[in-house]
Amino acid sequence: MMSYVYDLMKTPFVLALIKIVILLVVAFTVIAYITLVERRLLGFFQSRLGPNRVGPLGLIQPIADGVKLFIKEDTVPIHSNSLLFRIAPIFTFFPSLVGFGVLTFALPWITPASKMHLFALADVDLGVLLVLSLSSLGIFGLMLGGYASGSKYPYFGGLRACSQMLSYEVPLTLSIITVVMMANSFRLSDIVTAQQTHRLYFFIPLIISFVIYLICMIAETNRTPFDLPEGESEIIGFHTEYSGMRFGFYYVGEYTNVVFLSMLAPALFLGGYDIPFVNDIALWQVYPQLISILGFCSYAIKSVLFAYFYIWVRATFPRYRYDQLLKIGWLVLLPISLVNLFIVAGIKLFLLK
Amino acid sequence: MNNERPSYLREIFETKEIELNMGPQHPATHGVYRAILTLDGERIVGLNSVIGYLHRGIEKWAEYRTYKQATPIFDRLDYLSAVINCHGYVGAVEKLLGVEIPKKAEYIRVICDELQRLASHLIWLGTHALDIGAMSVLFYAIREREAVVDLLEAQLGQRLLNNAYPIGGVRFDFPKGWVEVCRKFLKVFKGKIDDYEELLTGNRIWRQRTIGVGYISREDAIAWGLSGPTLRASNVFFDVRKSIPYSAYPDFDFEIPLGQNGDVYDRYLCRIKEMRQSVRIIEQALDGMPEGELKAKVSPIIRPPVGEAYFTVEGSKGQLGFYIISDGKEKPYRVHIKSPSFINLQGLDVMSRHQLIADMVALIGSIDIVLGEVDR
Repeated sequence: MMSYVYDLMKTPFVLALIKIVILLVVAFTVIAYITLVERRLLGFFQSRLGPNRVGPLGLIQPIADGVKLFIKEDTVPIHSNSLLFRIAPIFTFFPSLVGFGVLTFALPWITPASKMHLFALADVDLGVLLVLSLSSLGIFGLMLGGYASGSKYPYFGGLRACSQMLSYEVPLTLSIITVVMMANSFRLSDIVTAQQTHRLYFFIPLIISFVIYLICMIAETNRTPFDLPEGESEIIGFHTEYSGMRFGFYYVGEYTNVVFLSMLAPALFLGGYDIPFVNDIALWQVYPQLISILGFCSYAIKSVLFAYFYIWVRATFPRYRYDQLLKIGWLVLLPISLVNLFIVAGIKLFLLK
Repeated sequence: MNNERPSYLREIFETKEIELNMGPQHPATHGVYRAILTLDGERIVGLNSVIGYLHRGIEKWAEYRTYKQATPIFDRLDYLSAVINCHGYVGAVEKLLGVEIPKKAEYIRVICDELQRLASHLIWLGTHALDIGAMSVLFYAIREREAVVDLLEAQLGQRLLNNAYPIGGVRFDFPKGWVEVCRKFLKVFKGKIDDYEELLTGNRIWRQRTIGVGYISREDAIAWGLSGPTLRASNVFFDVRKSIPYSAYPDFDFEIPLGQNGDVYDRYLCRIKEMRQSVRIIEQALDGMPEGELKAKVSPIIRPPVGEAYFTVEGSKGQLGFYIISDGKEKPYRVHIKSPSFINLQGLDVMSRHQLIADMVALIGSIDIVLGEVDR
């Protein structure tokens, strides 16, 4: 019996299923707890405590929040387009969740039983493009949610969300394209490998792309100082009419995006699962498991840095105005990223021949 | 050009203005203020203010109370600066009675007034910053306000609606050790103002959100009868403490900060500078505290002679005036309140023209309205 299970585990399909389950569980846990971490950290920034009542250090708070959202009444306004209203939250949530699948979390763990990569689910060769297209899909959720609510505030929120995410997608893509050009590949693991073999993280040569990515990733996820779609003191947001778990989907979707983009950033610019100051690939050939685990930890720490950056920015800055935001997107970031793209392309063509 | 299009296209491409109801349950209207905005896209082309959701009939109510009983009612006007409201009313009754207030009482009143101004401005700073999206400033401001309110509580016995002064003076001298605590707080507080400024004044986003937004010209500001920092930001020198001196204010050396451009940023700067001046006034008052009586002799039952009196103080929002008519009985015949928030709110129409919705939020914050005072 046991050997049968063992054999089954080795089949790629079952292994992939197991990995999907593990990935989902881990991702959900991380997403749930980043809400708590954010609130606690904001508390410390703002000389207060933050939620610390539910469980030790408030550790059960996310579960309590989830339960609360689930048992709340799910209202659908009379004037709304009820079909769109019901499906819109799913559009923000699931595309970003799918994105986790293409990330590679560590160097392959070479086991005698299986030669399969344990720390990557689907390391597709157009990973970067897939990620970008998935993040564009996320716009539909906000736009449809705002439109379908049949109310003016969400309508404004949806309009803002739509134009903001569209205009920041362009510089974000252009800045990621420079990374792709440096690595010569769209595959995320190849991008990390390129940084490992050059022994140079891309944020040093591509510092402009890195800064643009940092700005755009905040704008992409609609967070302060670019949280106009939900600017709660102005237009309440595209999810004004939502309640219960449908609102929860938007809420979780936002944090999924935050977690996902903070995990994508290290892979693109900070060497991903590369351990700093160590020749990973040479060591990996000697101690594959150890380096694999350590690499995973290093990846986690780098991602946490980005997540912390999100929260830090949120505690510090006021909100931009709608027109100023678009102006920055189209008149500042887009030209800079275009020029940056040409410069990197020129260097790549003529100097790094 | 529009007319050349076929009618079905005209219907598609026609843009129309929409009406957006902002308030009374909107988080940025600071209470139950309601604005009906006519919008062209996100741009405001028309503003219709609707007030009265918090009307409690304070002026009428006061007519059914004796002069002493009426005092705490006026704390409920601008509930964020109850002490100054009380000073205004009590001052008007004293003027009616022709009572001379002891010097020491005047000094204590000035100190409490200025502390209250600090508390009120701190709430304004926090909520204004929160409206524009800087959430941390709120908590820092509330932290310092807590210290101010503690000081007021120690002196007056209440934190928020402290029926501050009796007619004729003050109730108590400062409790033991109060002056030292106050001095220590003022010393710390100066650094805290620097902190707020560091977070906001030079902040690029803050400046972009506030400079040039909600402009009101010098002439318009005067014509609309604005007062307080909202007026002074438009470069008009008018502060009741200097222009129509009352209480012990002539004894102190302080400046009236003026703005140049009359925009949201200047109103913000004016209030920040005003907080520094308030600290200066309190320090001088603590240093030069005279000895003497706490209260003038006033008969237990107050029956002012027939006549009328108008007394005005510089409230935290602007010029706060009390007009009392006495018919010689125990109760006032009429009390009229010139409330700064109500009058300043009228300027919103001029300020909000051709601004965006997001600016509307910054504007309401910069006028610093308290609906208890607008609706009375």
